[in-house]
Amino acid sequence: MEWANDGKSKGGVLAHLERLEIQVNRSRKNSEDLQRAQAVEGALRTKIHKLRCLRDELRAEAKQRQARIKASAANVEPDQTLEISEQEVAERRRENVKAILRAYRFTGLSGKLTSRGFCVCISTAFEGNLLDSYFVDLVIQKPLRIHHHSIPVFIPLEEISAKYLQTNIQHFLFCLCEYLNAYAGRKYQADRLQSDFAAFLAGPLRRNSLCNLLSFTYKVELQGQSVPFCARLRYKDLTTTLPTDVTVTYQGTDALSPSWEEQRASHENLFFSKPLHQVFTSFARKGEKLDMSLVS
Amino acid sequence: MDALQAEVRALEAEIAALRRACEEPRTAGEDHGRAPKSLREMYQSDSEGWASSKDLRSHLGNLESELLFLSTLTGISIRNYSMKTEVLTNTEKTEKSITKVLQRHRLSGNCQMITFQLEFQILEIQDKESLSSVITDLNIIMEPTKYSELREFVSRAEERRDLLMFFRSLHFFVEWCEYRKRTFEHFKEKYPEAVHLPEGAASSCMVVRSACRPGFELVIVWRVQIDEEGKVLPKLDLLPKAPQQALELDRNRVLETAPRSFRALLGVLGIEAALESLIKSLCTADSS
Repeated sequence: MEWANDGKSKGGVLAHLERLEIQVNRSRKNSEDLQRAQAVEGALRTKIHKLRCLRDELRAEAKQRQARIKASAANVEPDQTLEISEQEVAERRRENVKAILRAYRFTGLSGKLTSRGFCVCISTAFEGNLLDSYFVDLVIQKPLRIHHHSIPVFIPLEEISAKYLQTNIQHFLFCLCEYLNAYAGRKYQADRLQSDFAAFLAGPLRRNSLCNLLSFTYKVELQGQSVPFCARLRYKDLTTTLPTDVTVTYQGTDALSPSWEEQRASHENLFFSKPLHQVFTSFARKGEKLDMSLVS
Repeated sequence: MDALQAEVRALEAEIAALRRACEEPRTAGEDHGRAPKSLREMYQSDSEGWASSKDLRSHLGNLESELLFLSTLTGISIRNYSMKTEVLTNTEKTEKSITKVLQRHRLSGNCQMITFQLEFQILEIQDKESLSSVITDLNIIMEPTKYSELREFVSRAEERRDLLMFFRSLHFFVEWCEYRKRTFEHFKEKYPEAVHLPEGAASSCMVVRSACRPGFELVIVWRVQIDEEGKVLPKLDLLPKAPQQALELDRNRVLETAPRSFRALLGVLGIEAALESLIKSLCTADSS
């Protein structure tokens, strides 16, 4: 509250009355605001209460449903005596088969029969993260041929089909699955490095579409200093998610001390043996301490 | 005020998710023991609208042939599958319209001679921009357990929660085992006196003996290994056995260096040709 404190009171009583009026108006406004806020709050609280009741109802319903499933799984017969008709058996079997067909995606290969043949769906994952799927639409003829597909152009599809499509379709599909999963895994690592560990990167992450050539500069804290390194990773084997060639070079202008050389060598080892984002997680955790136990 | 509004949003999101979970189409195993009346209700709500049981049967036939095709194509036969869904309660009031659903899956079947039973959990997180699915738990039971190479592989797959790698490597492992069995059987058929399979064709061991050279034995051990990354590779080793006298006469240390030479031979000729040349070298004196 501000009081005109200029030392010269504005004509005694009038000024006092003015001041009192301002005070009253202010407090009235405050109490109006307060009342309004309280009303809104009250409405919100009522709403919350209603939503909580609805939610509890739905939770109970969901629980009941689960209990019914459990009971039926334990073969608990309901009170009414039932005649299992043929139709019910067929219906149950139908739902079972549909569910199993859906579950095939967890093996990496699933699909549907088409008028031409079969459309295979290849799922990819890395470290438990379910990633993109791709499809290959096959025409069942002699010779077997691919009608169309969503395989990225940098995956050697022609090479793999030439080798296996006509002689061993199972091998063809699993081989393709291997390449796609490895690509998805490398891409996931590169994406995670860019999104989660941007603070460590001193420049952009250079990568090709196949994600088998990566090059980046990064800095780590060593003995209170920020030391820059450049890493170049090459994944010659397209069916793996770990690099086959790793070069880590020191990028600083000062002379490379023996302890930093040790670090550089240990980093090379880390990149060989762990996924990219896990290496940087360990950098983040290590801080300044040299943790040679990771290099074994 | 913000806290209250956040709570309202969280509750609304949870209610929406619970509603979805309650209206989910029934999966396998759910309609056991239901009264006929509700089954009819289910029929009516079915989007395919079955007019007669004939339609149902023919559709079922189509589905079964699709299943048969898929299991032949992949070499993996899934016999049973069920799933349960649970909407996770949102205790954090600051989460805005993020729904988390936990799915519990149970899967069992076989890949040739190996049967598996899997239980795994998938956590689905839906926020405004995207849907992410992560396998949060994986338990694998495999039979037969005699394949010791698989035990380590299984625990690695469980640790990494890498379900897809499990199936992929399982397929390649089985493929290699089948190839090994066919190869052993082929040589047994071609050289019945020389080739012996003391543990059967499905084992990892083949012994080559010559009737004319008793005491000499070539033991070929062919293991199928799965490395850290799930890659399946054959590993063959040669263990030559010879009588003591022969070892003393072996000035060129041929027997000692045989294992290494065998590995080099494998690299040049490949498995089948290398094995054939070994058998022939021991049995040159035999008349077939």
